[in-house]
Amino acid sequence: MDLHILDHRLRVTCISKNGLANFTHALIKLIFLRNRTRCKFFSLTETPENYTVVLDEEGFKELQPSEHLQVESSTWLPLNVVSNGNISSSSQAVGVTKIAKSVIAPLAQQHVSVFMLSTYQTDFILVREKDLSVVISTLEEEFNIYREVEGESVPVGCQNVSNVLQKNGKEALHPTVHPVLIPQNQFGVMSLDPDTLPSIATTLIDVLFYSNSPKVDSQSSPNQDLDCIKFFSFSLIDGYISLVMDTEAQRQFPADLLFTSSSRELWRMVRIGGQPLGFDECGIVAQISQPLADGDISAYYISTFSFDHALVTHTRCHRASSVPLQQNATEPSLLDELVKFPPTAKGSRVFLFYSLCS
Amino acid sequence: MSGSKPDILWSPHHPDRYVICDSELGLYRIGPVGGTETKPGTLPLSEETAATLLAINSDTPYMKCVAWYPKHEPECLLAVGQANGRVVLTSLGQSHNSTCKELVGKEFVPKHARQCNTLAWNPVDNNLLAAGLDKHRADFSVLIWDISSKFAPETSVAAEKIRISTVDLDSSMVVTKPLYELGQNDACLSLCWLFRDPKLLLAGMHRNLAIFDLRNTSQKMFVNTKAIQGVTVDPHFHDRVASFFEGQVAIWDLRKFEKPVLTLTEQSKPLTKVAWCPTRTGLLATLTRDSNVIRLYDMQHTPTPIGDETEPTIIERSVQPCESQIGSFAWHPSSQNRMVVVSATNRVMTDFTVFERISLAWSSTTSLMWACGRHLYDCAEDSAEGAESTVEKDIATKMRERAQSRYGHDTLQVWRNHLLAGGNDPQLKSLWYDLSYILYVSHMKQCAEDMELKLQGNKQSLVYSGIKNIIRTSSGTTESRRCWIGSDRQTDVPRFSSEERCLALRLCGWISRGPDIDVETFLRSLEQEREWERAAAIALFNLDIRRAIQILNKGATMEKGDLNLNVVAMALSGYTDEKSSLWREMCSSLRLQLKNPYLCIMFAFLTSEPGAYDGVLYESSVAVRDRVAFACMFLSDAQLPHYIDKLTNEMKEAGNLEGILLTGLTKDGVDLMESFVDRTGDVQTASFCTLKGSPGEVLKDPRVQCWIENYRNLLDAWRFWHKRAEFDILRGKLDPSSKPLAQVFVSCNFCGKSISYSCSAMPHQGRGFSQYGVSGSPTKSKVTSCPGCRKPLPRCALCLMNMGTPVSSCSGPGKSDEKVDLTRENKLSQFNNWFTWCHNCRHGGHAGHMLSWFRDHTECPVSACTCKCMQLDTTGNLVPADSS
Repeated sequence: MDLHILDHRLRVTCISKNGLANFTHALIKLIFLRNRTRCKFFSLTETPENYTVVLDEEGFKELQPSEHLQVESSTWLPLNVVSNGNISSSSQAVGVTKIAKSVIAPLAQQHVSVFMLSTYQTDFILVREKDLSVVISTLEEEFNIYREVEGESVPVGCQNVSNVLQKNGKEALHPTVHPVLIPQNQFGVMSLDPDTLPSIATTLIDVLFYSNSPKVDSQSSPNQDLDCIKFFSFSLIDGYISLVMDTEAQRQFPADLLFTSSSRELWRMVRIGGQPLGFDECGIVAQISQPLADGDISAYYISTFSFDHALVTHTRCHRASSVPLQQNATEPSLLDELVKFPPTAKGSRVFLFYSLCS
Repeated sequence: MSGSKPDILWSPHHPDRYVICDSELGLYRIGPVGGTETKPGTLPLSEETAATLLAINSDTPYMKCVAWYPKHEPECLLAVGQANGRVVLTSLGQSHNSTCKELVGKEFVPKHARQCNTLAWNPVDNNLLAAGLDKHRADFSVLIWDISSKFAPETSVAAEKIRISTVDLDSSMVVTKPLYELGQNDACLSLCWLFRDPKLLLAGMHRNLAIFDLRNTSQKMFVNTKAIQGVTVDPHFHDRVASFFEGQVAIWDLRKFEKPVLTLTEQSKPLTKVAWCPTRTGLLATLTRDSNVIRLYDMQHTPTPIGDETEPTIIERSVQPCESQIGSFAWHPSSQNRMVVVSATNRVMTDFTVFERISLAWSSTTSLMWACGRHLYDCAEDSAEGAESTVEKDIATKMRERAQSRYGHDTLQVWRNHLLAGGNDPQLKSLWYDLSYILYVSHMKQCAEDMELKLQGNKQSLVYSGIKNIIRTSSGTTESRRCWIGSDRQTDVPRFSSEERCLALRLCGWISRGPDIDVETFLRSLEQEREWERAAAIALFNLDIRRAIQILNKGATMEKGDLNLNVVAMALSGYTDEKSSLWREMCSSLRLQLKNPYLCIMFAFLTSEPGAYDGVLYESSVAVRDRVAFACMFLSDAQLPHYIDKLTNEMKEAGNLEGILLTGLTKDGVDLMESFVDRTGDVQTASFCTLKGSPGEVLKDPRVQCWIENYRNLLDAWRFWHKRAEFDILRGKLDPSSKPLAQVFVSCNFCGKSISYSCSAMPHQGRGFSQYGVSGSPTKSKVTSCPGCRKPLPRCALCLMNMGTPVSSCSGPGKSDEKVDLTRENKLSQFNNWFTWCHNCRHGGHAGHMLSWFRDHTECPVSACTCKCMQLDTTGNLVPADSS
C-alpha cells in the first residue's frame, strides 16, 4: 500500500457562530468562486458549537484575523492511503476502518496527534508538519511513502533515522475516556458535480449560514443525547466536492443532483468528547476505530475544532447508547461488539458502545 | 446545464449525419446547399454544404460524455455518461422499433455516484461499454457494462432503497452489476479500446496510463505520467496512442510503453481535444481552450535505408476553420481530411476540409510530380515537335538531348558542334564558330608555321585571349583611303589596318589569311547560305558597292528570293557622297524602316560621317562578329579599344556567348560564361567550351571546375554513364591534370606488390582503369601469375581459373561469337577479364562471369557464402540510360 503526503499545507481554524458574518464573504468566495482563489483544499464543518474551517495557506489568506477566528498554531499535512487496487481487501468496510490498524493505531502509539477528515471520495489523515519525520519512520515499514511535490510523486526514504526513537510526549498513559453522544438524526455522505454548484448555491448558502436550528443547544442539556444535533460538512478538495448532512438538510437539495452510493446508506453519528478535545491528545481516533475495525464496521470520521465525530452505518448500528457500567461488569455474551473504555483519570464512568448486527 | 462544453460525434455508418451534444443532443444531416431556396432550419456550414436539424433529445440532463453505438442496428443509439456516473442509453430520431426499444432507456448505475468522465464502446464486442468514473474511495473507477444483460438480480433490492431519488424508472431497465470492475482506488479520466486486441483497454487513470486485459483483470500494465487525458489510438497504426496533459501532447508506442516516444511542443493554453485523422495516416489535430485555430501535426515516419531509429519528422501547422472560438471538432469518418467544427458558444457549425500539403519532386529527366492528398500528378514537358511549340524547352531537356547527340565531342570540325546542339541557337552557333576560328588560327600558327602569320612567341596565347586583348596590343596602324572598287571616285572614308586588326578579322571569320583583306571567299560562302543581306553589307564595307548590288540582285532573282532586294539594290546604286543630296537625306531617315538590320546598317554606313558609325556599331541585331570586324576596319586606334571595351562589358553583363569573340577564353571569358550559366543554367556548353580552347589558367578557375563537376553529376543522374566516361576521356585529353590518380591497386596475396607492375609498359605509372585489369600484352607468357613473385593470381570463383586467364566461354547464346572474339588478342584487355570482387565477402573473379552470375542470383557464387553481394551495391541494379 502507498501512503501519499499530499502537497497541501493546511491550517485548522474555527469561526465562532457569532462571528460568522465577518467571514461570509471569504467563505462564499472559497466555496463558489474556485477560479478566483488558489485554494485547493477547503473544508467547512458546522457543528452546534462553531464552524471548523480547514484550508490550505492560499485559502487561509482570505480569512481576515478577528476575535471570532481561532487558529490552531501548527501547520498540518494531509496523508492519504492508496491501496493501488492490488490488495483485494476481504473487508467490505469502508472509511477509517480500513486504515485503523495500519495507520491510526501505530501513530497513536507514537503519540502523534491526528486530525481526521473523511470525505465522500477518501479519508484524509492530517498530521502536524513537525511530526512528519516520526510519521514517516513509523509508517515506512508498512507503506511505500510518497511525497507529492507539484504534481509529481517523490518516494520518501528513511532519511531521519535519529527521529525514529524520538517519541512524542510522555510515555504511554492510558488514554482518556471521553463521553460520547449519539444523536438521533441520520446522515448521508454525498458528492456533487462541481459544475452544478452554481445551481444549488442558494440552498447551500441557506443551509450553511442561515440554519438556526432550534435544537442546537446540546451542551447545556446533556440529557438531549437522543436528540438531533446540527452537523453539516462541506469540503472542496482538489476539485472534488463532498457533503455530509442529515436527512433533514438533504431534503432541501434537488435529489438528482447529489451523488451517493447506490445503496443510499444512512449513517448514525457518534460524537466524541464532553469537553473540547484540543489538539494535543492522541489516540482518540484509535480508540474508536480499532474496535470498529475488529468488527469490520464501516465508519467515517470527521474531526472538528472541538469534538470528533464518527459516522457509523445506520444498518449496523441498531442500538448505540451510552450506558454507565461498573468497571468490570461487562457482558460480552450479550453483545456482538464491545467497546470497553478504560477508566479515566477522573473516575468511574465507562461508556459502552456497541453495535448489534441486524 | 447551459455552460457545458459542446462536442461533436459523427455517425459511424451514415457519412452525412452527426450529433452535437451540449446541454442536449441534436442530430444533424449534412448535405449540399439546396440551390436558391433555403429551407427553414437549414444551417449553412460552408459554401457548398448545409446542415438540417433532424432531431433533438433533451431527456438526459447533466451529460458529461457521449459515445455512439458502433453497430449498424440500431443505428442511432447513444450512450450518455452523466454527472452522477450513470450511463443511459438513448436514441435520436428513431421510430421506436423493437431492437431499439429494448435498449433505449437502459441505465447503468455505479455503486457510488460520481462523475462519469468517459465512455468507450468495444469496437468488436459491441455489447461492451466501458465507462470511466471519478475516484471514490476504494471503489472501482473503470466499469465495463454489458448492454445486453437483462437485469441485475439486485435490481429489485436497489429499487427499494431508492428513497431520495425521484427518478421513477422501470426497474428492469436499471443495471447495477457491471461485467468487469477495474481500476480500484483510482480515477479514470479517459478510455479507449485497443484495436490490436479487443480485450485490451487503455485507460488514463489518475497520474498513470494503464492497460487492462479483460482476460486477467487482476493484472495491469501501467506507466506513470501526467499525460492521461484524451487517450486515443491511431486508427492507422494500432500501437500508436496520443494522450495529453494541460498543453502538452504525448505520443506513445504501446510496444515501448515506458515513456512517450514523442512529446509535442507545449501550448500555452490547456488542450481540450486531440484526435487522429481517420482518413490520413499520422495526422493529429489538437484544440486548445479559447482558441480559433486547430493545430495539426503531421507525423510521417520515413524509414531510412540504413534502418536507423530516426525521430519521425513532424510538420506542424494551424488551420482556422472559422472566425469564432472553437468549442470542439470532429473528423469526418470517411471524407478525406474533412471535419465539422462547432463554436464554443451559440452552436455555430462549420464544415471544413483541411487542405493537404503539396509535395513536389523533380525527376532528373525534367518531369515534375506533385502529390496532394491521394492524388498524384505527373507533369512532363510537352514534346510536341511538329507544332514548333512556342515555349522553349527546358535547358535540362536540351542538355540531355544534346548529350545524346554527342554535342561537344566533335573536335575536328568544332563549328559542327552547334549543329549537334540542334543548330537553332544563334549564340551557340556564334560560340562554336568563334572557337573553331580560334582553334584554326592557333593551329595554323602551331603547325603550319604560316610565314605570313609568324608573330612573336607571346602572340601564341594572344589568340585565346580574344579580340579585346589583341586590339590592345595593336601597333603600327596604317591609315589608308581607298577608292570604291570599280570606280575612280575617291572616298573620304579612312580605313585602318595592322597585323593585329588583320588577326581580329580572321577571328571574326571575314578573311582566312592576311594581310590582304580579301573577303571574296567569305562572301561566296555567305551566298551559299543565302545570307544575301549580310553578304551585301560585308561587300559594301569592303567598299565594293558593285559587288553588293550584284549580291542583292542575285538574292532577288533566286528561287523564293525577296524581290525587295532589287529595290534596295536600286537605292544603293544611287549612292552619292554629296553631303546635301536628297538621296542622302532620304536614306538616312528611311533606313530606319528597313526590317533587315544588315540593309539598315548599309545605309547607315553610307550616310554617316567618317569616324562616326554609331548607327552601325550599336545596331544590336547585327552579329557581334560583323560589328567587331567593321570596327576593326573603320575605327581609329583611339576609338577602337573604347568601343571594344564597351561592347565586351555589354556582352559580359548579358551573358551573351557572342562576346567570347571579344573576351576569348580568358578570365574575362569565364566571367562572361558565368553570367551565361547564371542566365541559362547550361553547364554543358560551359564545360565543353572551357575545356575546348583553354590554356591551363582558365581550367583552374573554381567556377570552371564547378561547371564540369556539375555536368558530370548531371550525366550520372541521367544514368548516362557511358556519356560521362566519354566526357571524362575527352577531359583527360584536353586537361591532363584532371586525370585521377590510381586509387585502387590489385596487390598480390603473396608478395603484396601491385600486380600491374609489369603488366604495362611503364610499370611505375598509374594507368587509370587499366589498374583493375590485366592489360599487359597477351604475348607475355605468365599473365596468370604475379609479376613480382611469380606466384599464381587468385582464382575466379566461377570458372576456377587463375585470374589473368581470359574469359573462356560464357553460357548462353553468345557462345560461338565469344569464341571467335577470343582469337583476337585485344580481347584480353576487355572488361570481361577485369578483376572484380565484393568488398564485403571478398569473393570475386572475372567481371564478365560475375555479371552473368548476378543476373540470376543474389547470393555470392562461392558455396557456403551467403553474402548478398549485389544488393549491397545501391546502384548495382541500375541500368545505364544511354546505350552505347
